Amino acid sequence: MKTLRLMGVGGVIAYRALFNWTTPGMFVGTLLVGPLFQLLFFAYLGRQLQVADDRFYIVGNAVLTASLACVFGGTMAVANERRYGTLGHVLLSPRSRTAIFWGRVIPYAGNGLLIAVVTLGVGAALLGLRIPFGALPGLVLAMAAGSLACGFFGLTLGALGLRFRDVWVVSNVSVALLLLLTGVNVPASGLPGWMVTVGHYLPITHAASAARQLAAGDGLTAAAPALGQELLVGAGYAVAAVALLKIFEGESRRRASLDAL
Amino acid sequence: MGSDYAIEAEDLRRTYKARTGWLKPKRTEVEAVRGVTFTVGRGELFGLLGPNGAGKTTTIKLLNTLLIPTSGSARVCGFDVESQTREVRRRIGYVFGGDRGLYDRLSALDNLRYFAELYGVAPRDQKRRIAELLDLVGLAGREGERVEGYSRGMRQRLHIARGLLHSPDVLFLDEPSIGVDPVAARELRRTVADLAATGTTVLLTTHYMAEADELCDRIAVIADGRIQALGTPAELRHRADGRRVVEVEAYGVPESAVDALRGLPGVRETAVEARGALQLLTVHSDAHVDVQGDVLRELAGIRLGRVDSREPTLEDAYVAIVSAA
Amino acid sequence: MSLLRVLAVGTLMHVKQLSRSPFEMAIALVVPIVQATLAVYLFRSGGEQHRLLEAAVGAGVMGIWSSVLFGSGGAIQSQRWLGTLEMIMLAPRRPVLVILPITIATGLTGIYALLATLIWGRFLYGIRLDFAHPVAFVVAAVVCVVALGMFGLLLAATFVLMRNANALANTLEYPVWLVSGMLVPITVLPSWTGPIAAVLPTTWGARALREATSGGPVWPSVGVCLGISVLCLALGGLALTYVERRARAAATLALA
Repeated sequence: MKTLRLMGVGGVIAYRALFNWTTPGMFVGTLLVGPLFQLLFFAYLGRQLQVADDRFYIVGNAVLTASLACVFGGTMAVANERRYGTLGHVLLSPRSRTAIFWGRVIPYAGNGLLIAVVTLGVGAALLGLRIPFGALPGLVLAMAAGSLACGFFGLTLGALGLRFRDVWVVSNVSVALLLLLTGVNVPASGLPGWMVTVGHYLPITHAASAARQLAAGDGLTAAAPALGQELLVGAGYAVAAVALLKIFEGESRRRASLDAL
Repeated sequence: MGSDYAIEAEDLRRTYKARTGWLKPKRTEVEAVRGVTFTVGRGELFGLLGPNGAGKTTTIKLLNTLLIPTSGSARVCGFDVESQTREVRRRIGYVFGGDRGLYDRLSALDNLRYFAELYGVAPRDQKRRIAELLDLVGLAGREGERVEGYSRGMRQRLHIARGLLHSPDVLFLDEPSIGVDPVAARELRRTVADLAATGTTVLLTTHYMAEADELCDRIAVIADGRIQALGTPAELRHRADGRRVVEVEAYGVPESAVDALRGLPGVRETAVEARGALQLLTVHSDAHVDVQGDVLRELAGIRLGRVDSREPTLEDAYVAIVSAA
Repeated sequence: MSLLRVLAVGTLMHVKQLSRSPFEMAIALVVPIVQATLAVYLFRSGGEQHRLLEAAVGAGVMGIWSSVLFGSGGAIQSQRWLGTLEMIMLAPRRPVLVILPITIATGLTGIYALLATLIWGRFLYGIRLDFAHPVAFVVAAVVCVVALGMFGLLLAATFVLMRNANALANTLEYPVWLVSGMLVPITVLPSWTGPIAAVLPTTWGARALREATSGGPVWPSVGVCLGISVLCLALGGLALTYVERRARAAATLALA
């Protein structure tokens, strides 16, 4: 219970302290309007090139939009801690680091979910896509799974930030790579095999395909395997992030490079 | 030119407005400079001395066109700082302390080339001028290195070289020796003195007494946004005439003991300065009253270090002026 | 003459300063290549294999826009963070002469994106660089970069007045790609976007480069692109004068 509280309350406080985008203008502009334009861009590109239908683009990109908040959020959760010189103090805490850092992911994932839901709603309304009412709970579930997986993915990138100076390069490039490799914008059949394979180990890929099945009215049972895979990917990153944090923490204590920027 | 003064400031005032919070925006106003008037003659080395937050930097920025006065006016070389900015800027140099304000990934040479171009140094003079200045500030030979690898002192010297590129008539130096090691600070003072000797008007802000005492023809002590005293170092020292100073090193002096000292007959001012675990008590008294005995009596039971009774210095005058503000 | 010198030296120095940032370079080179890869597979999936060179050029132009949007939009803010804003505004020059080199530099560093996508396309995907009008392509690329630099000045001057300029910049990347038809002209867009596209210099710059790549009149597009940009420069110059005055009044030149 105490650990849960540490994860919840600690996570929210860290979110407010470390997330750079919490002013209303920044939030609306970067996290709501920006992703919506991204969706429109690919949807119109898809229409123009006749690659796939609107549902493919709208649903896929809506799920993907969660990645922006989650990847950057996860990176900020660790990297800004270092920038503000507070990382040492956090690591000095006797509490479980695993709980501390996992807790940080939750607000970002919630944020990502909110963005994905808004983007899907507005995008579908603007482009005239009908989504069966009964599919909505399942869709939210798929988006939540994608957001959570993405949050842990972001935390992994943030952990890498302890080791590498230019962690923002990594997160910027990762966000771009997700556009390509998750099969959200190019159908898997159009991508080379190795890219599809890499995509399987990335967040969003499975959540997007589950969401597409749901939006097509296939029902939760049909989408369940993909949903499960997404959660598995997320769990993988959750473990990887904590492992990396442990390794780098030990390493930086030995080399005294913890707060050296 | 039509003006005998390099700098004329008349009742300068500057208010900062700030807005904080977005849910319930709060507006706050801070009066940083509250009516500053002075003149600096051509070729004079003039010091603005005061504690942090006294309004020194604001005053400099009002004079060098970076800020518009809330009210009052100022002229540099006879040109109005608010409306004739380009005329003013052609004639001034500005150097501030600290290590920001340079292009880190460029070499010193590139930094100087860029600013020489911006500040309107004639192309045919640039090479010679830059070489001269690199020599002057002792960076010759290192000019090809990127600034990101420079020490704080080197950056500071590069700042100075930049401020002098266009041979300004008036040089504004804002805390130039902040964070510079003592040896470099001494060289810096020599450079500034040389500049003044060759006819450049210098306005220097500092909170280092010795620096102001050694360099300045005249000093204005500024505190609380107002000029509290203005004169030559010797004149300011006279402010402490008729006083005697007792200095006591002590450990753990309670507030009540300091208040008691203040009440002693003949005592004019007291000041406490924390230096780590140690506190330095300074007691100003009338020169003809020997208060040392009384002071020690009041401090009985407190662990004491060195005790000293001496003639007042410029620093004591400064303390007297600032604490009276 | 002296004006040109100020602009040239300023641009060179800012290009140097930007090009030596590992962060800027990594973003400028890697992200456009990812975008170009995406474009290639999109084009292939859409049965447009013969237009892959257009995809590479288009992704490069997208990169130029990103560079100008973030670089110029944040030009004044980043100078403020460096602590150099006060020093450059103290120059006895018109503000436009001080800021324009910075925004043109962001356009020039955007060229890295175009070069990267072309080289990547050539070597990884064997895209043959047979431009319909090679000379016109080079001219159009240079004009496009300078023109976007001028447009960048307008962005720099107006963004600095906004409290949420970063948010605005983050918002404007995709819609300009979309409306200007950088990757492909989008004929299926709603008709009301037409006038917006017509006044954006990005539309004409992208169009000129596409015409030089796969055939078309090129020069009219180059001319319109330049004309609009000069107008932006004039507006940006006026705005900057106002901005400078306001900054001196509000004490926002230095980092608070």
